[in-house]
Parts: sequence; structure tokens; C-alpha cells
Amino acid sequence: MSAKKTAIPAVVKELWVENRHGLHARPVAKLTSLAQQFDAEITLEKDGRRVDARNMLAVLTLDCPQGTRLVLKATGPQAREAASVIVSLFARKFEEK
Amino acid sequence: MSLQNIILEGIPVSPGIILGRAKVLRGREGYQVSPRLLYTEDEVAQELQRLRRAVDQTAGELTNHLAELPSELKEHSHILETHLIILRDPMIFQETQRLIREQHLNSEKALYQAYHKIKELFQNIQDPYIRARIQDVEEVYRRLLGHLAGNASNRTLSFSEPVIIIAKDLSPNETTQMSGSPVLGFVTERGGRTSHTAIIAQSLEIPAVVGLDNATLEIGSGETIIVDGLTGRVILNPDAQTLKKYEARKKEFETFRAEVAQGSALPAVTTDGHAQRIYANIELPEEVSLALKYGADGIGLYRTEFLYLRLRQLPSEENLFENYKAVVEAMAPREVTIRTLDIGGDKFLSPLQYPMEMNPALGLRAIRFSLKEQNIFRTQLKAILRASAFGRIRVMFPLISSVREIREARGLLEEVKKELKSQDLAFNERLPVGAMIEVPAAVTLASLLAQEVDFFSIGTNDLIQYALAIDRVNKQVADMYQPLHPAVMRMIRDVVQAGRAARISVSMCGEMAGDPLYLPVLLGLGVEEFSMNATAIPVIKRVIRMISLKEAREIARQALRKATVEEINDSVIQDMDRRFPEIFRFGRHLAAL
Repeated sequence: MSAKKTAIPAVVKELWVENRHGLHARPVAKLTSLAQQFDAEITLEKDGRRVDARNMLAVLTLDCPQGTRLVLKATGPQAREAASVIVSLFARKFEEK
Repeated sequence: MSLQNIILEGIPVSPGIILGRAKVLRGREGYQVSPRLLYTEDEVAQELQRLRRAVDQTAGELTNHLAELPSELKEHSHILETHLIILRDPMIFQETQRLIREQHLNSEKALYQAYHKIKELFQNIQDPYIRARIQDVEEVYRRLLGHLAGNASNRTLSFSEPVIIIAKDLSPNETTQMSGSPVLGFVTERGGRTSHTAIIAQSLEIPAVVGLDNATLEIGSGETIIVDGLTGRVILNPDAQTLKKYEARKKEFETFRAEVAQGSALPAVTTDGHAQRIYANIELPEEVSLALKYGADGIGLYRTEFLYLRLRQLPSEENLFENYKAVVEAMAPREVTIRTLDIGGDKFLSPLQYPMEMNPALGLRAIRFSLKEQNIFRTQLKAILRASAFGRIRVMFPLISSVREIREARGLLEEVKKELKSQDLAFNERLPVGAMIEVPAAVTLASLLAQEVDFFSIGTNDLIQYALAIDRVNKQVADMYQPLHPAVMRMIRDVVQAGRAARISVSMCGEMAGDPLYLPVLLGLGVEEFSMNATAIPVIKRVIRMISLKEAREIARQALRKATVEEINDSVIQDMDRRFPEIFRFGRHLAAL
């Protein structure tokens, strides 16, 4: 039997979309450009559908209006930093007025 | 004989009325997407290169547009930035390359397939606001097709004679290119209140109706039409009588708009001679020019959060000082009211230190946060004090709910003053200090709080939310967010009375202060200083100049007698309609921009 790979533990966070119009173009643009800055694989999952957080159109088509619950998973060297920055972006409601 | 006075209804997004010739823009979908199969690997390699070149050219074009965006449209730069991201999105770029490589399709056909796959995904989106973003993908798709065809994707958008533009949709670049041409108004099939067309029409001050299905099919180029940006109506083939009616209405609105604009520099004095101070709310130093343009007598609310949020770290004292100083100097000799930090630590400090709160509206934020993180607070107070040497500054503390908070905050302010003295730095020794009244507890304690401060500022957005226990962002209860609720009216009355008894001024800086409908009531309740979005100032000033304080008091007295918000609304609306028919018909459209 082959040796088990040492799995890098994934950071898992629960996110709630709180900003008024949900994940529309502007917040997703912020999210994707932020996600691209980290050395980490970041995915967002909604109702069993998982997409790459760095992919704008994929996140948009996830269809996340205000009140949506998302699960964020991050792996890789900067997983923890990436997750905390994204959590805070959601908490700040993407700095929308 | 053709039918006359055909009425089409859309969504009014920019006020005004226009009669003129239609020009229908077509051909946006006119690019030929002819499929062609590639036979050799060489052809595939060439095709991939062709695609990449078109992507680069499109990126260059978008970047140029970004750089050349006229200053009045700068705030829309995020739209172009979004297009740049979409251009390189894997679902467009990688997918098109994959189709070229694996299915040997030419670029146009591959791109078409990639785009349609995305379009299908978007059609399944429930949320209309997010679903509408397919417009951005479409815009990028068209541009790319244009570059593949060897030319820029835009239609030529200059006209010599004045026209009303009819289109399926307008992109920000297209509307920008029209800015030199005589465009009278816009009618589009797509879009909503927040669409690009709406925002741009507002800044150009021309009427626009959007969301009008089949506009490009129903309206023909060269036809005379009427666009009513107040009601959302578009009238085709109007008869003489209708034309006459709308010409009169147009004139009435334009006179009103011009009068409002001309009057923006005049002081806001009631007909019986009582002067009111009309201030602007700002968030960025750049907004000062807008405040001055619209005739603000000062800044009633300078929100100071952006530096903390933008830098994602704590701004330095120097950084804050420079910022506050710039605003004060630009507004001089007018007064500037700086509100200290009104957010919680979870918004910009490490999430470990400040975990996300379940109920942030009731959490550690505003003055509570400042009193807990005293170093952050001291730095801000120091910067505000130093800036007070350069003009008239007032400081106010948000979310005050007890006398203790005011005393603690003032105590820190005094300590900071001592520090500045020891450093020989100049500041205004008698910097006025205010309390924001936005928690019901502060209303109850108003007479005690009034002994501790130099002014009150009622923040109606939060006060209404806390008093009525309504989160107005929550659609289920949003209609219960009622500024004229009898409880809210009594609270405002009580705060004004407490302020008056202690001889301190009472201002108001929530959205309610900028709505012409509420103004007479607020004036009658005794509010003397109103702070609002700059664009609302001219209309508000005009209302004040048309009413006497005596009348306003009577309106407030009547309203206070009513037991329900419905009765109050009826009485206030009837009254406004009777006294200021044109403000009631036009003014709210102008103020709400």
C-alpha cells in the first residue's frame, strides 16, 4: 500500500453574504483580485456547488444574493491568511455604502 | 392613418422631459460568427495567437478608456475594471482556447460557444441583480469579437443633430463617447435604477427611461417621441394636444430645476426671516468640491472610516492630520464636523483580536470601540485637534448611550490637548464637542447629555433602526422603517427641547434630513441645522425659502396630534402637495439623486 499523503489541513470558514445586493460584479471583483494575491487554493461552496474563488464568472454564477451561506475552503501555504482576509471582506460587506 | 399617442412604460431613472427625434442604435449583435474548422496544427497555433492578440488589444482598449475617463465619470472606473477581469476569466479565455485547441474551431465560433455557455449559467441565476451582470460579459464578448474582426468594437457615436438615443443597452464607454454630441435623452430596453445608463444620464442631467421592452423594435429612427424621465413614459407619435401638454410640463420642470440650481448659493432663510444652516455629508476629501458646488454652508458629517478601511491598517496621525486639514482648508471659512470612528474593530483589525460579531449593530463599535482601543482613539483625536488650528472644526462622538461615555471621551480629549501643548503644537483650545443622538437611551438622557456637550447631532438612520427595531436592509420589514413614525417624531421633539433648554444647537445628519418631504416637519420640530448628501442641498434650500417657521410649526403640531404613521404621512403629504406642488412633483426626484 502506498504511503498516505500528508494532507495539508484545509482552513474552513462559514461566510454569510450580508451586503445589500449580494455577490454582484463589484464585490466579486474585489473578492477575486484579493484571492489571487495569496499562495493558496481557495474555493467557495454553496449547496454542494464548489467554485474557485479566483474565477469571477464562476463566483457570479454561484448566485449568492444577500443572506446566502457559503463555505470557504483554503489550502496551501497562505491558506490561513487568505481565509482571514476574505472573512473580513465579507464582514465589512465589501465596503459597500 | 397611424396610431397616435402610443404610450410605452419603462423605469424612470433620470428626471426631466424631452421631446425630440429618436435615433435607434442597432447592429450591436451584427458581427458575423461564421464557423470555420481548422485543419492543421499550424492553423490552430495561428488561431490561438490571433485570439491572444485580440485579448491584448481589448485589454489595451479598456485600459485606455480607464485612463481617459472624464473626471465626472471617474467613479465608474470599477465597471471597466470588472471588464478587464472578465476578459481574462478562465470561463472566457481558457475555455475559448480549449475549444480552438481541442475542437479546432476558429476564434469567433469558440468564443461564441464559451459566451453562450456562460449565458446559460446566468439564466439560471435567481437573483435579478446578479443575473443582470451578464451585460458585463456581453460587453466584453462584443469587444473581443470586434477586435477579432480587425477593428474596435464600438459603434461610432457622434451625431451632429440632437437626438434621443434608443438602444437595447448602452455601455459606459459608449455613453462616454457621446458626451460631446447633442444627446437629449436615453431609452433602453435593459437596465434598472442602478444601471450605467441611469447613472450617466443623471450626471449629464438628461432624462432617461430604462427597462422598456422592445424599445428598439417599437420606436423607429427619425420618429418624434416624448420621453418623460419623471414617470417612465415614452410617447410615440404624439398628437398636437399631447405635444403641447408635455411642452408645458417640460418648461415647468426646467424652470423649477434652474431655479433650484440658481438658488443653491442663496442662504436658506424662511419667509419669516429665520436662517437655517444646510450642511453636506462627506466621506472623502474629494467630495468637498461637490459640497461647495451645491451650496453647502459647512460639513455636518465627515465620516472618517475610509482611511482605516482603505489602508487595511491603522493610519498614522500624520496621515489623518493631512486629510482633515485638507478638508478644513478647502471648506474655510465654513465649519467642518468630524465624526470619530463609527465602526468596530472587526472591520479592519485582525479577526483574531476582533472576531466577527453576530449582531454588529448592537456590538462593539463607534464610541464603544474607541474607548476600548484608546490608542487608536487618541491618534484620531490628536489629528483632529491639530487640524483645528487650520479652520473651524467640531468633533462629534457616534453612538453615545450614556453620560459616562461622553465624560470619558472628553477626558481623553483633554489629555491629548496636554500632550499637544507639551509638544508645542497648535490647536483650538475650545474645540466644540458634540454627541450623536442615535440610540433611544440617549434621547431619554438628552437633558443630562446636553449639560456635557456643545451640540447634538441626530443620526436618524440609526435612531429609526434602534427605536423601531427595524433593519431596513431586511426586505421583510423594510416598509416598517418609517421616518415619520409617531415615536420617532416625539424623540426628535424631545431632543430638540433638551438642546434648547441647555442652549446648545441641535442638528440632524441622517437621510431624513435631505428629503424635502420631511423638511417642514423637522423645521417645525425645531431642528436648525440639516446635513445631507450634497445633491439634495439646492432643493432643501428652496423648500426652506418658501416656508415660514410659523407654518412649519403648525405642520409639526398637526403631525404630532396624529396617532399613526399613516395619518401623519397623509397629513404631511397633503400639506406638501398643497403648498409646494412643484416640489412635491419634481423636488423629490432631484433630491433623491
